[in-house]
Amino acid sequence: MLTKRQNLLETIKGGKPDRFVNQYEAFQCAPEVPMFNMLYFDPYTMSNPIPMPGTPDVVNSWGVTISWPANVPGMFPVHDEAHKVVKDIAEWQKYVKAPNLDFPQAEWDKYKPMAEGVDRNEVYATYVVAPGVFEQLHYLMGMDDCLLAFYEEPDALKELIEFIANWEVEYAKLIVKNYKPNALFHHDDWGSYKSSFISPEMFKEFIVPAYKKIYGFWKDNGVELIIHHSDSYAANLVPSMIDVGIDIWQGCSTTNNVPDLVKKYGEKISFMGDIDSGVVDKEDWTPELVEKEVRRACETNGKLYFIPNTTQGGPMSTFPGLYEAVTEAIDKMSKEMFKPVL
Amino acid sequence: MAKIDEVKAQVEAGKTKLVPGLVQEALDGGSAAGDILQAMIDGMKVVGDRFSAGEIFVPEMLIAAKAMAKGVEVLKPHLAGDASTSLGTCIIGTVEGDLHDIGKNLVSMMIGSAGFDMVDLGVDVPAEKFIEAIKETPNVSLVACSALLTTTMPSLKNTVKVIKDSGLSGFKVIVGGAPITQEFANEIGADAYAADAGAAAETAKSMVK
Repeated sequence: MLTKRQNLLETIKGGKPDRFVNQYEAFQCAPEVPMFNMLYFDPYTMSNPIPMPGTPDVVNSWGVTISWPANVPGMFPVHDEAHKVVKDIAEWQKYVKAPNLDFPQAEWDKYKPMAEGVDRNEVYATYVVAPGVFEQLHYLMGMDDCLLAFYEEPDALKELIEFIANWEVEYAKLIVKNYKPNALFHHDDWGSYKSSFISPEMFKEFIVPAYKKIYGFWKDNGVELIIHHSDSYAANLVPSMIDVGIDIWQGCSTTNNVPDLVKKYGEKISFMGDIDSGVVDKEDWTPELVEKEVRRACETNGKLYFIPNTTQGGPMSTFPGLYEAVTEAIDKMSKEMFKPVL
Repeated sequence: MAKIDEVKAQVEAGKTKLVPGLVQEALDGGSAAGDILQAMIDGMKVVGDRFSAGEIFVPEMLIAAKAMAKGVEVLKPHLAGDASTSLGTCIIGTVEGDLHDIGKNLVSMMIGSAGFDMVDLGVDVPAEKFIEAIKETPNVSLVACSALLTTTMPSLKNTVKVIKDSGLSGFKVIVGGAPITQEFANEIGADAYAADAGAAAETAKSMVK
């Protein structure tokens, strides 16, 4: 039986996996880290305030106010006029201060045992980075201002994108130096359920250069796999994803026609998702619904270049038991579709 | 190209700096304010249709809506008191527990561009706040409620129920948001459902005419 890491490699390289890669199993390397179970603790993340469920108005290291009201599945930046960090994109330098990364070495050393303890033959030592460049832009100024800036202040927007990308590379330097991850799980939502936020042409002009720099750095420094999370439609951005070096697009929703993408691009990029959290992760979920959705995803996408997974950006679900039920249903499909050759 | 057609074309193209001057030129050339407004509404319908068809994206829609808003500023003094140009007031908000605003903002812009006066209650709006706004606002013809999360679909259901049970009348209720379907809209008693911002504007117009 292949290890989780070997099985993933066989799957994304078009080899001979012996079962489906089951959701995040090949990246879950740090059980101590809540929600992600991936490497995430470092002096920066530990000093960056983030709200817990039920906490209003926490100001993070970029100055963005974030709220997580009770009974809501995620956190949200607050963007009324008083709370927007960037009041005028033309003068972004006046408002944006990059978070400090200058911590004593002893602080970085504190979290080394976690990275050193990963069984790198069994799983990838996967580091989580979030939010990404596009999300950081609209965290700083609000979605409407951000999207209008693509037309109204393109030069200033490009400057800010470069500033964020450069900061991400500085952060990446410290991570690879101290923890030597061999996979990166990077969040940046690039679309809604039905379309990408911006056109593929605009994406190429504004966002691709930043990601060539960021993902290029990680890949040049020991990271073998880039897993990019965008739980959205983004089929029209797949050529750009390949261009910037993404190996696995996690979060691809059914609206992308994932089986078509697997056929068209499978040898260049793999697809992880096709089980919409919006469909299965609800209060009244049933094992029957989960099995139906998992079966559809597995049968229509096949065994290669595809990892069945809910679209949620981590090994978790909003409603208790749902993630585990999906895992169980995928195991059943593996038994059915990967019968040993006698 | 007639000036009024140019206004329409430049709204479609999102030319925020050009549209106000063109509107003024069209007025100076003798075009009726109502006709110029209609040309801009027609331009936004083209934008909405292209968005629904996946030909353009959110920035193109935002910039077109902004171009129209700039044109309307020039037009406003000439439209004052012309009730025939308004389709009534639309009260819009994202339901309690849901903090997503981009979809709601787009729908608000598109419905506003279709000829409604908008009252935007924002996000995380309790059902009672919708009721208060309906009572306090004159000429309400439409109430638009959105929910982006599966977890807030029950909140949307409750909001529609509270509005329908309130005894208030004279308006229609339209719902939308990523997880919402026509079937769900029917089940919770909404008057209409729209799949996206472009469709919302068209449905809104057809409901009050």
